[in-house]
Amino acid sequence: METLVFQKPSRIKKDCKVTFCPGCDHGVAIRIIAELLDELGIADKTIVVSSIGCSVFLNDYYDLDIVEAPHGRALAVATGVKRAKPDKFVFTYQGDGDFASIGLGESMHALSRGEKVTAICINNTNYGMTGGQMAPTTILGQKTTTTINGRDAEVQGYPIKICEMAAVCDGAAFVARCSLDSSKEIENTKKMIKRAFESQINGLGASVVEILSICPTNWRLSPQESHERVRRELYPVYPLGIYKDKANK
Amino acid sequence: MGRVVIDSEKCKGCLLCVEVCPRNVLKKSETYNSKGIYPVYAENKNNCIGCALCAKRCPDMAITEVYR
Repeated sequence: METLVFQKPSRIKKDCKVTFCPGCDHGVAIRIIAELLDELGIADKTIVVSSIGCSVFLNDYYDLDIVEAPHGRALAVATGVKRAKPDKFVFTYQGDGDFASIGLGESMHALSRGEKVTAICINNTNYGMTGGQMAPTTILGQKTTTTINGRDAEVQGYPIKICEMAAVCDGAAFVARCSLDSSKEIENTKKMIKRAFESQINGLGASVVEILSICPTNWRLSPQESHERVRRELYPVYPLGIYKDKANK
Repeated sequence: MGRVVIDSEKCKGCLLCVEVCPRNVLKKSETYNSKGIYPVYAENKNNCIGCALCAKRCPDMAITEVYR
């Protein structure tokens, strides 16, 4: 007698074909969010705010209510949605360029206001969709199409650290950074997103989960080498962990 | 003993599942799918323990079901 131990979450469209590059961690993040919506039983009252970047195709994968925000304005749109419909569960799904570059003002103000929304930020340290240009999160020495000799602090400055910035906002209730480079970290990321969702459900304030992701195409590495690079080069710059948790203070 | 169901049309051949499988069940195929990609298939079917690590790793949700 066989028992089913794994199946696709109910809110992933049946005929959906994931269109990201081979090995991209976006698909894993999308799947674990859909699993959590099933586990917490909130899928029916969820409104997702998608953003510009590789995360733009969210409506192709999710069988949910989705609003498409202008570039960088996902948390501003989420603020409006949540204030108009306070009983709904609202989360944004953004990349690092959307969250920390174009939308840095909107993001930080929404966190400071303590809007009861959740932001999921996928950090792959470059602008993936447009061809791998330097993003504010590009680490020092990293080669991109606009920093061909590696990012230089003298010229391009230092990388922006999303979680450290978000943690100083008084309105932020839960801030954590996690990764998707191994099976263990995938489980940990799921736990972190669950706690962020619960802090919104309990009305504690804004929550942010930054997920270190890979970009094999623009990093010019295989998916396996990309995960190795996350462990070797990104962990020292972007340490994993919980940066703020109002629920367990 | 476990069993994995692989949708070879959705597989993009990143081989991340091959890396995480603790029992070396999965292998790259010799024939390509309609997109010209060599998908993975379950070669050593009898070794599968249904741990679902491959399905949780797959970024393309190409491993649609795991039975144990």
